[in-house]
Amino acid sequence: MTMQTIYLLIPLAPLLGALIAGLFGWAISRRAAHVVTIAGVGISFLLSAYVLKTLLSGGDSFNGSVYTWLTVAGLEFNVGFLVDRLSAMMMCVVTFVSLMVHVYTIGYMHEDPGYARFFSYISLFTFSMLMLVMSNNFVQLFFGWEAVGLVSYLLIGFWFKRPTAIFANMKAFLINRVGDFGFLLGIGLVLAHFGSLDYAEVFKAAPSVQEATITLFPGHAWSLMTVTCVLLFIGAMGKSAQFPLHVWLPDSMEGPTPISALIHAATMVTAGIFMVARMSPLFELSDAALNFILVIGSITALFMGLLGIIQNDIKRVVAYSTLSQLGYMTVALGASAYQAGVFHLMTHAFFKALLFLAAGSVIMGLHHDQDIRNMGGLRKYMPITWITSLIGSLALIGTPFLSGFYSKDSIIEAVHFSKLPAAGFAYFAVMAGVFVTAFYSFRMYFLVFHGKERFGKASHHGDHTDEEEATDHHHGLTPGQKPHESPWVITLPLVLLAIPSVIIGAVEIEPMLFGDFFSDAILISGNHEAMAKLGEVFRLHGGVTGMGTHAFITLPFWLALAGVALAWFFYLKRPDIPSAIRKAAGPLYSLMENKYYMDHLYINGFAAAGRGIGVIFWKLGDTILIDGLLVNGSAKVVEFGAGLVRRIQTGYLYHYAFAMIVGAIILLSWWLGGILPALR
Amino acid sequence: MSWTQLNLAVATPEIFLLVAALIVLLSDIFLNERNKSIAYGLTLAALAGTAYLLLQSAGQSPRPGFNGMFIADPLSQAAKFGMVIGVALMLVYGRSYARLRGIFRGELFALSLFALLGMMVMASGANFVTLYIGLELLSLSLYALVAMQRNNVHATEAAMKYFVLGALASGLLLYGMSMVYGATGALDIPTISQRITVHGANNLLAIFGLVFIVTGIGFKLGAVPFHMWVPDVYDGAPTLLTQLIGSAPKLAAFAFTFRLLAEALAGYKPDWSSMLTILAVLSLVVGNVAAIAQTRLKRMLAYSTISHMGFLLLGFMAGTRDGYAASFFYAMSYMLTAAASFGMIMLLSGKDFEADQIADFKGLAKRDPWFAAMMLIVMFSMAGIPVFVGFFAKFAVLKAVISTGAIWLAVLAVACSLIGAFYYLRVVKVMYFDEPENQAPIAAAPDSRILLSVNCLLLLLLGLLPDRLLTVLTEAVQRSMLP
Amino acid sequence: MTLALFYLFAAILVLAALRVVTARNPVHAALSLVLCFFTAAMLWMLIKAEFLAISLVLIYVGAVMVLFLFVVMMLDINFESLRKGFWRFFPVAGTVAAIMLGEMLLVLTSRYANLSAARLPEPAAGFNSAKALGKLLYTEYFLPFQLAAVLLLVGMIAAIALTHRQRKNTKFQDPADQVAVKAADRVVVLKMEAEKPAHAETDTTHTGEKA
Repeated sequence: MTMQTIYLLIPLAPLLGALIAGLFGWAISRRAAHVVTIAGVGISFLLSAYVLKTLLSGGDSFNGSVYTWLTVAGLEFNVGFLVDRLSAMMMCVVTFVSLMVHVYTIGYMHEDPGYARFFSYISLFTFSMLMLVMSNNFVQLFFGWEAVGLVSYLLIGFWFKRPTAIFANMKAFLINRVGDFGFLLGIGLVLAHFGSLDYAEVFKAAPSVQEATITLFPGHAWSLMTVTCVLLFIGAMGKSAQFPLHVWLPDSMEGPTPISALIHAATMVTAGIFMVARMSPLFELSDAALNFILVIGSITALFMGLLGIIQNDIKRVVAYSTLSQLGYMTVALGASAYQAGVFHLMTHAFFKALLFLAAGSVIMGLHHDQDIRNMGGLRKYMPITWITSLIGSLALIGTPFLSGFYSKDSIIEAVHFSKLPAAGFAYFAVMAGVFVTAFYSFRMYFLVFHGKERFGKASHHGDHTDEEEATDHHHGLTPGQKPHESPWVITLPLVLLAIPSVIIGAVEIEPMLFGDFFSDAILISGNHEAMAKLGEVFRLHGGVTGMGTHAFITLPFWLALAGVALAWFFYLKRPDIPSAIRKAAGPLYSLMENKYYMDHLYINGFAAAGRGIGVIFWKLGDTILIDGLLVNGSAKVVEFGAGLVRRIQTGYLYHYAFAMIVGAIILLSWWLGGILPALR
Repeated sequence: MSWTQLNLAVATPEIFLLVAALIVLLSDIFLNERNKSIAYGLTLAALAGTAYLLLQSAGQSPRPGFNGMFIADPLSQAAKFGMVIGVALMLVYGRSYARLRGIFRGELFALSLFALLGMMVMASGANFVTLYIGLELLSLSLYALVAMQRNNVHATEAAMKYFVLGALASGLLLYGMSMVYGATGALDIPTISQRITVHGANNLLAIFGLVFIVTGIGFKLGAVPFHMWVPDVYDGAPTLLTQLIGSAPKLAAFAFTFRLLAEALAGYKPDWSSMLTILAVLSLVVGNVAAIAQTRLKRMLAYSTISHMGFLLLGFMAGTRDGYAASFFYAMSYMLTAAASFGMIMLLSGKDFEADQIADFKGLAKRDPWFAAMMLIVMFSMAGIPVFVGFFAKFAVLKAVISTGAIWLAVLAVACSLIGAFYYLRVVKVMYFDEPENQAPIAAAPDSRILLSVNCLLLLLLGLLPDRLLTVLTEAVQRSMLP
Repeated sequence: MTLALFYLFAAILVLAALRVVTARNPVHAALSLVLCFFTAAMLWMLIKAEFLAISLVLIYVGAVMVLFLFVVMMLDINFESLRKGFWRFFPVAGTVAAIMLGEMLLVLTSRYANLSAARLPEPAAGFNSAKALGKLLYTEYFLPFQLAAVLLLVGMIAAIALTHRQRKNTKFQDPADQVAVKAADRVVVLKMEAEKPAHAETDTTHTGEKA
């Protein structure tokens, strides 16, 4: 099997599974549906791992077209793959998490009527995501970008009978449109100024246009690269849920938990991060764009984390945590520490998927009760979920030697070394974020697994949103009922994800951050030296173990510890304090309760204004001008013409023959008329 | 003169097809009414064999034969392959339809094969005589086929009109050819082409003939104002023969036009280009506008054919390699689309019931969601909605037109397509939003169901991945053009 | 001399052709067509294509037109109704024809028409057109010749398929059936109650005639 066949097989195997499960789901059994899709993703994972191994042992990266889709005016639209270490790593992460989620789904969606459909969607998602990361050109990138967005839309609204789910998927779709608009404009600028959509060609030509400017409004010349990069980054903001386009992600928790883990934590939302890292040769050319990225990232990292503190829905806590962590990754990109961003992307994929799946396991154990106020003391009943959640939380807050520590501390340090103007603010935000992260993570952890058992109170039945089609399910436990540990198909992925959550950071930090792992994929210009300095410090401390031991005397560690301690104090020792604070900080609390009023702004501001304008256009433009004049007017003309032709089509043979003769004469006269002057 | 000079090998597919047609004809004598399936099987086998032989010669450079009367070049071989597919589709879709109407007979098979032979000769003729005889072979077979259902008044009337007008058109064509012969003293295409270049373009006699040749071509394609037969014949003929007339012969007409205009009369490109522009514009306007007023699906499709032929002519009008390739692509994709549309009508038709009204498709989505989706693909493709092959066919043609600088033509074509989208989408609307009048499930044989589905999905697939086919056809045109 | 003959025959040809469409009596029209063929044959003779001329006379005059005359005389076709409206359409049709004629003349008489280039070569001495034609047909024009044979075959198939295949609703006698019929099959005696109304049943008689 040649490498090219393998590259083709990697995305096609899940696609095939998706097609079989999706188109023939009605014909095949549930078992068959999950067998084919898991087999597809499994094959894809094994091959991805093989590809990564080949690349790491010195294999050449691949960049080539597989199929020319279309040629327009000398411009080729290709389906092509760029498989280097960056994409190979992404492929492994995507397929591994996807595989885990597939297995987990067997248990989680066990009773759902849309079983085959669900498997089809998540396999289709895997295909789309692989197309996105493997692409070697902007068109295919955009295809993957939109395809994952589409599948995400379908999955958020998977329980399409619930109005909240429909609202959530519509919201996700619309907000992403805003981002995509910028993204598409960015791609358009690239095409306009480079005349190509192929990564390699664009990157090669990029340095030569560094000084180029464009005039968007008369009198203001802007740097071309800055405009292009900011536009591209706006796309990333939509997909990776960065402030202010983040509002869709918490609502996307209306979807089933497995996809929250797969799409809204581990993979799709990181597409923006991946894209920026992939475009590093472009972003490196514009300090302005990098500053912009830093600011957006730090706002997201800190302020979204704060919101996590007051959430009571277990999935929403994890969702805000995801937002905050995406902010961290973005900050890393802004600091030109692309490696650190991608590294955090990878570690985050494992431990956040783990946390989501563990949350799902808890939700199942409690019969679809998602309110953490109704939990407590679960560690006795769900030991595996408990242990794995603890590992995930520890990794998330950056406990030394766990994976999250290595990636997050690298980011913090990289920001520290960055010389961009926005780096100061960013440094503060990520540092404060450490405390916030530890606080909300352990707040949730303590409320769920420790303390008094608060489940089984009849009064909670059905008074909150929940995840099942609300028909024959009872929600929450009845009094006296005890939660139980989930079946092996659920716990196995938890355990398998816990392993990398612990070790992957220590194993990979050296090659990925300071080795030449990304040498062929990421380019950092000479005047951004955060990564270089980071490497010096890393070696100074004595590598992996040194960095871990050194951590105990650094600020982030103590901040994290303080966060954990405070959470313990507030929620286990003195549960009365939080409610007291809530009462005391009334306006601040309601600001956070309403998510900084972003939703209000969008729904009552932009959306309402948009609809107002729409109504005006509809009344004026549509009804009067277009309907009245253009459509009905032209329809009348066409109708008249049609009637005329129908009258000519008499059915008489001699009329037809006559028409033909007349036609010949018209042709003859036309031609004669043209040459008549020359005849005489 | 010897056998080797004849170079019979270039016509292997045609010779095989002729022998096979004769075998089918003879086999019919020995088969009673119940065993006609054997003849049917033989016919399909003949088509498969022809297709196989055509594939054998794929990719070879142009090979003349029969003393320059015949040429097997990539263009003709590709067109022939498409024609074989078209005829095979007709036979499979129409099997039970023909049986229920008592025309599942040996003549149907034999005449279809002869018609195919005629088309293949039209594609490969390198001499006016060969081309003309090929055309007559096709036409005569079609006249007889349309009239085959004798107690059907509409069919006989259609055959009658088709025959008389066809004879008139072929007379005009022959008259034109004789003028060109008179002017150049040659009948074979390379010589004509060469003499025209030598004598220059102001040879009035030849251009005079050209007018009549264009007339004949216009009739064959069904371009306005030589289109009058199209609605009546499409509507009157049994649907399976409408499919035969509406699909494969368009490819033959394309190749025929290519031979006559792009090769033989290439020297008069400005002249025929302007004539084709008139035909194309009239076809686009009249075809699309008239289709709106139709309530009968077959009649609507007839007018839609006219408009599609307008597009095909636009590609020719451009007169460039890319223009011809675009036309070729258009003809190929239209062949598949038309076959699928008539296949759908036959799929829904029963013993005494023709699903040839648009109203017969009411609520199809509720009766049979799968085939409603298939019909949706067909209609979308015809309307030229992106990702379906029809869009790329139109796109390629428009590109060629724009490259010649005739922006107004491209704008007009797009405007006409927009009008056209109305009536295609009306079918979709009827299928999805109206209540079904007929609740009966669709009773069709599995072979036609499967093939029809494959055919429709192919329209989607070719729309998603159009480039390979377009490249193949462009290359075929490139390699077949006279130096 | 040849030129004079050409104009003579050409004039007859055009006049005869006019008669074909204008004659009231269909037999006259058919006979005018025969005259057309004859004069056309003469034109071919003038350019020394004697084989074609003879074939035209033999096939079209001898076979086709005779058959056509039979049809005209034996079938009761109302030619008056076919010709109805002839004069009504004549002005329009005549105008169109006149335009056509005018344009053709314009082109053909133009000096750019270059008709002289289309002059036929003078045949060599001892040239035998039948022989030359035969030779051409079997060598150079081998393919069209064969295809023409196929075309004729298709014509035969078409003719047989359209006329000779058994029709469903034609009435014809089957002598074998008629001979085999028995008295008992012909007459059926029915017992009838006197009070019953008369329209109850009708006699069925079997005559051997099939429907």
